[in-house]
Amino acid sequence: MISRLRALWNSMFRRKLLDRDLDEELQAYLELVSAEKVREGVSSQEAYRDARLETGGVEQVRQRVRDIRAGGSLDRLSQDIRYGIRTLAKNPAFTLVAMATLALGTGANTAMFSLLDQVVLRLLPVSHPEQLVIVRETGNHYGNRFGPNTVSWPMFEDLRDNNQVFSGMFCRFPATVTVGYGDRAAQIPAELVSGSYFSTLGVGTALGRTIAPDDDAVPDSQPVVVLSYSFWRSYFDSDRTIVGRTIALNSHAMTVIGVAQPGFDGVELGDPASVFVPIMMKTEMTPHSDGLKDRRRRLSWVTTYGRLKPGISVQQAQVALQPLLHSILEMEVQQPEFTRNATAVDRQLFLRNRVELLPGSDNELRDYMRRPLWLLLGLTGAVLLLACANLANLLLARATAREREFAVRLAIGAGRARIVLQLLVESLLLSAAGAALGLALAFLADRILLRIYLPADAAAEFVVSPIPDGRVLAFVVGVMLLTSLVFGLLPAVRGSRTEITLSLKHRSGAHSAGGISLRRMLVGIQVALSILLLIGAGLFVRTLRNLQTLGPGFPTDHLLTFTINPSLNGYSDEETRSFYERLNVNLQTMPGVASVGFSTMPLLKGYAWQNAVLGKDFEGAPIEEQPVLNHVGPDYFATLGIPIVAGRAFTAQDVGPSKYAVINETFARQYFPGRNPIGQRFGLVDEMEPTSPDIEVIGVIPDRKYRDLRETPPPQAYFPYFQDAHFRFMNIYLRTHADPRQIEDEVRERMRQFDPHVPVVELQTMNEQIGFSLRTERLVASLSGIFGGLATLLAVIGLYGVMAYVVMRRTREIGIRIALGALRSSVIAMIMREVFVLIGAGLLAGFLLALALANLVRSQLFGLSPRDPLTFIGSAIIITFAAGLAGFLPALRASGVDPTTALRNE
Amino acid sequence: MPASQSDLLQGTLDLLILKALTLQELHGMGVSRRIAQITGGAFDVKAGSLFPALHRMEEAGWLTSFWGESETNRRAKFYALTKAGKKQMHSESERWKRISLAMATALRTT
Repeated sequence: MISRLRALWNSMFRRKLLDRDLDEELQAYLELVSAEKVREGVSSQEAYRDARLETGGVEQVRQRVRDIRAGGSLDRLSQDIRYGIRTLAKNPAFTLVAMATLALGTGANTAMFSLLDQVVLRLLPVSHPEQLVIVRETGNHYGNRFGPNTVSWPMFEDLRDNNQVFSGMFCRFPATVTVGYGDRAAQIPAELVSGSYFSTLGVGTALGRTIAPDDDAVPDSQPVVVLSYSFWRSYFDSDRTIVGRTIALNSHAMTVIGVAQPGFDGVELGDPASVFVPIMMKTEMTPHSDGLKDRRRRLSWVTTYGRLKPGISVQQAQVALQPLLHSILEMEVQQPEFTRNATAVDRQLFLRNRVELLPGSDNELRDYMRRPLWLLLGLTGAVLLLACANLANLLLARATAREREFAVRLAIGAGRARIVLQLLVESLLLSAAGAALGLALAFLADRILLRIYLPADAAAEFVVSPIPDGRVLAFVVGVMLLTSLVFGLLPAVRGSRTEITLSLKHRSGAHSAGGISLRRMLVGIQVALSILLLIGAGLFVRTLRNLQTLGPGFPTDHLLTFTINPSLNGYSDEETRSFYERLNVNLQTMPGVASVGFSTMPLLKGYAWQNAVLGKDFEGAPIEEQPVLNHVGPDYFATLGIPIVAGRAFTAQDVGPSKYAVINETFARQYFPGRNPIGQRFGLVDEMEPTSPDIEVIGVIPDRKYRDLRETPPPQAYFPYFQDAHFRFMNIYLRTHADPRQIEDEVRERMRQFDPHVPVVELQTMNEQIGFSLRTERLVASLSGIFGGLATLLAVIGLYGVMAYVVMRRTREIGIRIALGALRSSVIAMIMREVFVLIGAGLLAGFLLALALANLVRSQLFGLSPRDPLTFIGSAIIITFAAGLAGFLPALRASGVDPTTALRNE
Repeated sequence: MPASQSDLLQGTLDLLILKALTLQELHGMGVSRRIAQITGGAFDVKAGSLFPALHRMEEAGWLTSFWGESETNRRAKFYALTKAGKKQMHSESERWKRISLAMATALRTT
């Protein structure tokens, strides 16, 4: 072992010395042999010659000894690399094109992969994140639910205290709070956490201590807060004396007890929390809603996490938890809040609910981004494949041109394996250079992509690390090796098959039959892939256009919107009501503002308040979808430009005791079919008390989109906001006379003067908001468009290369044809026939592929089928035209062949 | 008729070199001549096989080398067995005996 290492060391660093020794050793051998011969009676001159002959070439012996030395293969490799660099440097045009192609291909893939990694694949930055699971109840949820993976507080307690499978459990609830420190106020995301949160996650602090179980034992008892590291840095300038100080959260004095470890921003990736507060402080953090103290069993609001005991699989835990959940459900159906309004069918369905464990890093953002990002990675993969095909084509052409060089090397004794290796080394050099460039490109691209993708404030928190992490590096290296194999192996193997005599005899390699069918096949694959990418691009671009042109159904120009929440400043219901009334008057008198609309639920942000309704005429009728509800101000419909098609809108006089509603056409059609909806009554189902139909319909509006642009308008009902008992969030819509961006600053200033303690949140124009909500569609459409264009370009270049080569090879034949009287047009037709056969085969393959893959993109499309004929035909026309043109140039050149020159050249 | 190099079984050359060096240290040509001698001229090891093998075996730690003076008073590189080389020779010759016995038995069987 040691002797081998020493040998390796020597051969790497003392090669000169070793070589000198070897020379001397061989020289001595020669002399000894010739001395022997002299002794046998041969003349000394002849003896030396005989000795050399017998040795069989001193140089060969030397080379064989060097090859056998430790690190001999390294030696050869470094030789190959140096030779490869020289060869590539001699052909700068080829090298640059190849490197740029590879850089684009690898870069695009790396950018997509690291985005996918950061947004979808990465696990939480906690100890053993793979053990962490979200515990959720699936099936027929009865009651109210905030968020898809939530359970009620009492259910969390039951699960925590009675399970056998978790080493620890915790729960959390995300909230928005107003922070006050000094004279500054801001709205920040907070995480309300149970006492076991930090210990179960295994997350520590940079300063101070974490929230402990003792902090979370008695409601309202421990006003303490842990800051996230990034929030501590940005808001408190990394002030190390912050621990022990008091800050105001929602106007409650809270003591800072610690700063969490760097990099930990809560358990929802992409949605970082700035502060962590014991969940027992919920009343203070979320005024007007309290699922903690009223202990309603069917009010689901906490996301519950468990850490699996070592050795227990997700499957085992799921099975073990099911009886526990069932016994909890059995108890819950006996509770009055269940029995009050539930039917026997409800009960039956409810008891079939099951426990499901999700990976701890799952969340809505991930669910939402997973498909588009995988799709884009697939597209970039196809582009890379295409780039590889192009390079393989280029290398094949080069291999043909280099046949003489290979023949010479073979003739002086290089093995074919050595030539394959040499060519592979060249490919690897190319792809390594491409990958290095691509990595830089990917870093830039990711910054831009994340900026498009995330809201401005989140993008700042969501730092893309400039140093690629291990997974991304592994990905890049993998892509590099794979590409160099894909594009390098075929040409390398072909190159090594050079026939020595044949190649040396001809002046150049242009006449060998080298790989033309192979190259045709590569071009066919390129056409197929690019038609696939073009179809994809067409589908996504048209989806985006459909969404943009269809719009939400009301005019979105000249509309400015923002959100406020005075209740977070500790304002009582009465104070908040008066705040809104005064604000309404104040904004109406603002110059440049035509009208002001208020609504408690935001439009087109994906949120909805849904509730079951009942009425005399539709009790027990099966309802497909619960209606979407909203509390709005008097001028809401007028401000948004939604007409009233029957009845009237609200007025400021519609204040209790009677309740009124404006509904949309779908609501009218579903609940009051065939009747005049005006004057009909319905009620909202409330599990706390029996419901009566006490709301009167006074107006009908046309169907408009509510949650997002993709939806079919759901049944909707609107109530006057002053009928609402509690005032919390308010979304304010301003219809302006001119470009709304011009008055953004004035609005901010006016709001600051109106009440400096209430921060204005998400001030933007409606078009900006809609633009942001379409960011995924825009990202997919623009990237797939770029990739489609790139793919077409690559395919066209590939086709041109092959056809030019074909024409060059057939110059003699074409010359003879022309000499025998063939028309130039028929020569063109002959070449073009070949071009169209290639394109046609590619198109056919591409179409079949696109039809087969249609289902993968169906959910990403809007307003058209994934097999949309128009898109297919359009893409086919583009490819046929572009590729046809690329084939026409060589055809034209063929038709211009001068028969005498062509024949003389032979 | 001397066996050509390619007829040498894998490992045979190594064993022959080890054997050639058991009595005394030798330079390259000495090894070659000694092998010819002990095999009754059956193996004539050429430089193209001999030197790569010597260097490989030295790197493996079976041989050690030093510069000495040849019978013609010329500086030459001499090779000698190391402890590991002796061990290697014993295990190799055991193996070889088993093989040749087995081959002989096989060939005797009719």
